[in-house]
Amino acid sequence: MMKTLIKKEILNHLLSFRFLVTLVLLLIVVPATVVVLSNDTLRGREEYSRRQGEIERYMEKYAHFNRVHNIVAPSSAPLPFHALIRGISAEINQEEFDNDPLPQVFPLTDFTWIINVLMSLAALIFSYDSLCGEREEGTLKLLLSHSVSRASVVFSKLVGGLIALAVPLTASLLLGALWIALTAKLGWTIREWLALGVILVASLLYILFFYTLGLFLSCRHESSSSSILTALFVWVFFILVVPALSPYVASFLSPTPSRIKLDRELFRIYDTERDELGVKLTKEVRKKMQEQYPILLQRLSPEEEKRRIASDPEYSQAYKRLTEETAKAWAEANRIQGAKAEKLEKEQERKEKAQTKLSVALSLFSPLSAFTYVATELSSTGINNDDRFVFLREKWHEEFEAYRDKRMALLRAQDPQKDWWNTPVKMDDRPRFVFRELSLRERVKNAALPLFLLFLLDLVVMVAAVRSFLGYDVR
Amino acid sequence: MIAPLVKKEILSNLLSYKFIVVFLMTILLTALSMGIMYRDFDARYADYMLIRPGAGDLIALTPPNPFSVLARGLDESIGRSYEINIHDIVVRSGQKSNNLIFRFFPTPDLLYTVQVVLSLAALLFGFDQVCREREQGTLKLLLSHSVSRGELLLSKWVGNFLTLVLPFLTVFLLALLLLQLDPRFSLSWEGWLRLGLMLFLFLLYVALFLSLGILVSTLAKRAATSLVILLFLWAALVFLLPNLTTLAARQMVEVPSVRGLSEKRQQIWTREILLGIREFDPKAGQQGVASSWRRHFDVVNHEQDAMEEEYRHRFGRLVSVAKSLNRLSPVASFVYGVNAVAGTGIEEESRYKEEVLRYKNRVYKGLMDKSMLGKEASFSAFHYRYRSLGETFREGLWFDLFWLALFTFLFVVASAVAFLRYDVR
Repeated sequence: MMKTLIKKEILNHLLSFRFLVTLVLLLIVVPATVVVLSNDTLRGREEYSRRQGEIERYMEKYAHFNRVHNIVAPSSAPLPFHALIRGISAEINQEEFDNDPLPQVFPLTDFTWIINVLMSLAALIFSYDSLCGEREEGTLKLLLSHSVSRASVVFSKLVGGLIALAVPLTASLLLGALWIALTAKLGWTIREWLALGVILVASLLYILFFYTLGLFLSCRHESSSSSILTALFVWVFFILVVPALSPYVASFLSPTPSRIKLDRELFRIYDTERDELGVKLTKEVRKKMQEQYPILLQRLSPEEEKRRIASDPEYSQAYKRLTEETAKAWAEANRIQGAKAEKLEKEQERKEKAQTKLSVALSLFSPLSAFTYVATELSSTGINNDDRFVFLREKWHEEFEAYRDKRMALLRAQDPQKDWWNTPVKMDDRPRFVFRELSLRERVKNAALPLFLLFLLDLVVMVAAVRSFLGYDVR
Repeated sequence: MIAPLVKKEILSNLLSYKFIVVFLMTILLTALSMGIMYRDFDARYADYMLIRPGAGDLIALTPPNPFSVLARGLDESIGRSYEINIHDIVVRSGQKSNNLIFRFFPTPDLLYTVQVVLSLAALLFGFDQVCREREQGTLKLLLSHSVSRGELLLSKWVGNFLTLVLPFLTVFLLALLLLQLDPRFSLSWEGWLRLGLMLFLFLLYVALFLSLGILVSTLAKRAATSLVILLFLWAALVFLLPNLTTLAARQMVEVPSVRGLSEKRQQIWTREILLGIREFDPKAGQQGVASSWRRHFDVVNHEQDAMEEEYRHRFGRLVSVAKSLNRLSPVASFVYGVNAVAGTGIEEESRYKEEVLRYKNRVYKGLMDKSMLGKEASFSAFHYRYRSLGETFREGLWFDLFWLALFTFLFVVASAVAFLRYDVR
């Protein structure tokens, strides 16, 4: 019996006008998005390797240790998944003079957007009249006069609807996937395909939520025209209101001090305050040394001083100690100020992390955010990927500093007098930054919570839908 | 005859479930959006007060634009602090830059609310105007009286427009009144004119979607079909078309990446410093050393400016191509128009950047002359004047207004033609 009911539902949908529209729309939009985004990715890669080439050429001629870290600062090429999902890696830049504000005006379409907005809307359109529509037409009465339980009616509607929605989605995604597979330069490996598989499952869960929601609302309303109104109202709330408001609400509930203020404070700590402290400490050191070596009390011009160091071993000894102690005093000043700055930075970072966490938590009231997080985490274009980039960058910095210290020591051993900081040297053997994405296992781990939440939301609406249909007046 | 018909439309709307839903949605979202954006403005203003440049600080900074409460656009980008150095511009941004969640979802300002929610509400009002009455049989009855079809359609349009717009207007005006309590929002006459223009754009936009709804309802046989068509059309016009065409524009115009530019800047600067140090000749005397450095700094400044100009030129082309393509959907015209009037649009941002660059060059020249000739340099503080309404009109606003009005007009005419030939049975 169940099979017949499901078959009827599917056929009903397949022959409907809304199915046709959804199919046509998706068959146009998904492949078009994939083609454009994969071109964009390839162009981004080309630009990236051109830039790396420029850096190489620059390093051959001008590589010197004093400012080299500005030149070889890590950056990463567009990832394979950017052909489908843009995530937050888009170039919204706040720290550079030039920025590219176009995506802020019209956020660019990607697969996440298609699922989030188009498919949720389609799901509601598929189900808003599934029960009250049948009641209006009188077929519901007829159906239940047979030996069919109400639960199996709801269940067959759920399964039939989901299959009918999955058909256009899967078909269009297959076309997109074909394009990606044929574009070998994108470099999709088994890992990307597996991740895409999980994303497809999450998409179906997301669509199921809205389909079931429509079903639920259609049992709560007498007529299909009021059912669609409530459905759209709820849709607006979940799609447009909750996610967009969540970071703002979080920033009010858990504010962070202004970055600009912190930057200035840090500058003060590292610059003016450090100089004051350093001068104070060196004065003390000089006084102490002068007590120890009264010979240092004499005031000498730089030339005389040089002569004295060369001729007078006692003076030279005292002078050497003074320089050592002064250097120590400056190091101490740097250490104290560094510790101060680090404390401030840690505090700021803690507050920022807390705010981000709260934003995520608030936004998770909407299945849209849950799906967005699942999709971006699995495609490694999300928050954790950003964190990973920062982590790898820090690690690279440490490696590079170690390399620099080693090379500088060797160079100084060659010629202690020369200003090696500002002399071009070969650095072909420098550590290079390579961005490795998170492994699939890590990604699944990061996506697990929102995925579970999506599942839970599905369960809740399903129970609600079945319960209200059991008490529905079918006349 | 029109007055009683309009009255009938309004009354039947007021009593419908539809009205309650749309009324709640409009009131709630308008109030929420204005409240949230006001608090956001307040936070940014506090930031601004904190870092406001004192006398002698070489910083280009502008207070947040009060209109950003209605249409935030790129105000956050304009409001960053640009500290001028001898070799570059250090950009610092406010407190939001580190919460990544802001990047996932759009800004819920009033512009967005109207763009997405009010348009949806307008469609919900329009979608069954004609076909529902046909299905119920009341259309036949109505037309058996001495009412012309034109009058009937007009009264439907007017009645629905009024019920749609009144709740929005009420909340909007109330919120404006509340904002007037805050001295930062006291407006000049030009400010009021801008506000009026924005309101006009909001209403025109609602009219556009209402007309589209009525048009489809005269073309479709059944209300359910009309709704499906309209919802997909809505998604296409509001989201799909502008977003996809922006992507397409990117394929046509190649623009270097922001990252690439900043790498280039570093390369130029670092190279010249190195060359300067290697050229350093203590025998040249103070004047000689200074002029040698000046040569290198000039090279840095010159090359970076050339690069910047090239970028601005290309980006300008991308923007104009993207805008032309976006306008396939009148929604884009609406968004560009409102942002332009509010002074938070792309052109305003570009203009602002150009002003910052001019300021940088003034400062650079002053600093150089100071170090060369030993005279004290003094700089007037950075000041930015927003585009006047006249300039805004000349630079594209007239087209956006015309384009929106044209679409509305076409939809109205098409629905009139369709309704005149409509089979009311």
